[in-house]
Amino acid sequence: MQLTDTDLIVHAQKGDQNAFEELVYRYDRSVLSIALKYAVDEDDAKDLYQEVFIRVYRGLKNFRFQSEFSTWLFRITTNVCLTYKSRSKHHLKVSIDNDFESEENEIRAKEEIVYEGSSPEEISSGADLEEIVNSAVESLSPKQKMTFILKHYEGYKIREIAEIMNCKEGTVKKYLFDAIRNLRKKLSPVYA
Amino acid sequence: MKHNEYKRLLQLSLFGELKSEENEILKNHLLTCEECRGELEDQKNLLELISGKQKSEVDEKVLSAARYQLRGALRSEKNNTNVFGSFLENLSQLFATPLKFAVTSTAILLIGVLIGSQLLNKPSSDQLTNQNNGDNRFASFNEDISISNLRFIDSDASDGEVEFTFDASRPVRLKGKVSDPQIQGVLTYAMLNEQNPGSRLNSINVMDTKQTSKYDQDVKNALITVVMTDNNPGVRREALKLMSKFPYDENIKQALLYVITNDSVSGLRIEALNSVIEAANKGYKLDNEEINLFKYKIQQDENPYIKMRSRTILQEYN
Repeated sequence: MQLTDTDLIVHAQKGDQNAFEELVYRYDRSVLSIALKYAVDEDDAKDLYQEVFIRVYRGLKNFRFQSEFSTWLFRITTNVCLTYKSRSKHHLKVSIDNDFESEENEIRAKEEIVYEGSSPEEISSGADLEEIVNSAVESLSPKQKMTFILKHYEGYKIREIAEIMNCKEGTVKKYLFDAIRNLRKKLSPVYA
Repeated sequence: MKHNEYKRLLQLSLFGELKSEENEILKNHLLTCEECRGELEDQKNLLELISGKQKSEVDEKVLSAARYQLRGALRSEKNNTNVFGSFLENLSQLFATPLKFAVTSTAILLIGVLIGSQLLNKPSSDQLTNQNNGDNRFASFNEDISISNLRFIDSDASDGEVEFTFDASRPVRLKGKVSDPQIQGVLTYAMLNEQNPGSRLNSINVMDTKQTSKYDQDVKNALITVVMTDNNPGVRREALKLMSKFPYDENIKQALLYVITNDSVSGLRIEALNSVIEAANKGYKLDNEEINLFKYKIQQDENPYIKMRSRTILQEYN
C-alpha cells in the first residue's frame, strides 16, 4: 500500500532520506513546471527547483501538519520564485512588493523591454512570436506573473492560489485581471 | 449590474471560476451585448496565443537533471547538518541532567581555557583586536584564517567603538588514501561544488587511480550529476571516464543515455556511446530504450561517426 504524505513526512522528519525523496518525487514535477514558466531559462528554473526543496528539507522537521503539505510546498515555491533574481544579466531583476502601486510602477518600468528590438512589422509578421509572448509574460510584475502561471498553466482555483500565496481571493483576482490587462496591452498587435 | 462587472465575470468565466447563477447572468448579457461578445472573443484569442507558446509538459530530461542536482545539493546539506546537528544534539544531551550539566560545564570551561590559551599565545603580530585596552574580546587570528562577508552591525565610530560580523575560515590539510571514505567525501563535495573548474577536474582525476577499486556510493551519484550538469566539457569528460569504472546499472545507463542524447560535445557523446558498447561487450543486453535511441541517432545525430557507431551497435548487439 502506498504511504500517505503524512507517513512520508513523519519518516522524513526522523531522518529517513528515502521517505524524503519519495515525497519530493510526488510533487517535484509540479514545482519544476511552475519554475520553468516563471524563470527566464532552464538553468534558473533548476536553481529555483533546488532552492525550493532545500528549504523544504530544512523546514520539514518543523512542519506541524497545520496545512496540507502540498499547500506548504507550493507556498515555498511561490516565495522562492517571487524573490528570485535571474542569473542572466540581460533580464530584469525583480523584487517583492506588497502594494499594488509598486507592482504597477514595476510594470511601467518594464514595458519598454517587451518590444525592445522588435518593430511592429516584425511583431505582426510573427517573426519572433514566441519570444514576444514570453517577453510579455516575463514583463508582468512577479505577483501577477505567479498568479497567472498558477491559474492559467497549472489550473489552480483562485481559492487555492489565495491559500498558496497567503492572501485574499480578491487580491488574487486583482492580480489576475491586471495580468490579463497588461498582456492584452502588450500582445494585441500580435493576436488582434 | 455595471458593464465593468460583466467584464470581470467574462474573465472569470474563461478561467472556469463562475458559479452557475453567475454563468447564467453572463450568458444572458452576452446575448444582447456585442461589446462583451467581442471582449470574450478577444480574451479567448489572447489565452490561446499564450497557451500555444508555452510548453505545458515538463521535459523528462530536465526533470531528471534537476533531480540529480538536487541529490547533490541535499547531500551537501545533509553533511553540513550532520556536523552541526550532531554537535548541538550531543550538547543538548550532555545538559540533560544536573550531574551531567556540572560535568559538562567543567569540561567546556576547560576546553575554553585550552582554546583561549592556544589563541592568546600566538605571536602578538597576529592580534587584531583591542590591543590597546587589553580587552581580548575576540582573541587573536591565525595567519591561515581568511576573513570574508564582513558586515557592520555598528559602523558609527563616533563613540570609539564599532561592531561587525564576518565569516572566518581556516584551510584544512588532509592526507590519506584515495580509498579513504573521508578523502572521497571531500573530493565528492569539491567535484560538485567547487567554483573553479580546474579544482573540480582535479577532484575527479585524483580518484581515477589504479590503486582505488572501491568507491563510495556518493561518488557514483556525484559523478552522474557532474556528467549530466557540469558546464565544463573537460570536467564532464573526466567524470564520464571515471564513471565507466562503475558497474553498468540503471543509473549509469540513464546518465550515459542522457549524454548521448543531450551533450553538445560530440566527443563526449562518443565517449558515452563507447561505454554502452563496453557494457554490451561484457554481456549486457541492450533494451528498447537504448535500441530506440541508437535508431534515432542513426537518423538524427549531426556527427557521422556517431551515426555509424549507432548503426554498428544495432547490427552487432541487437
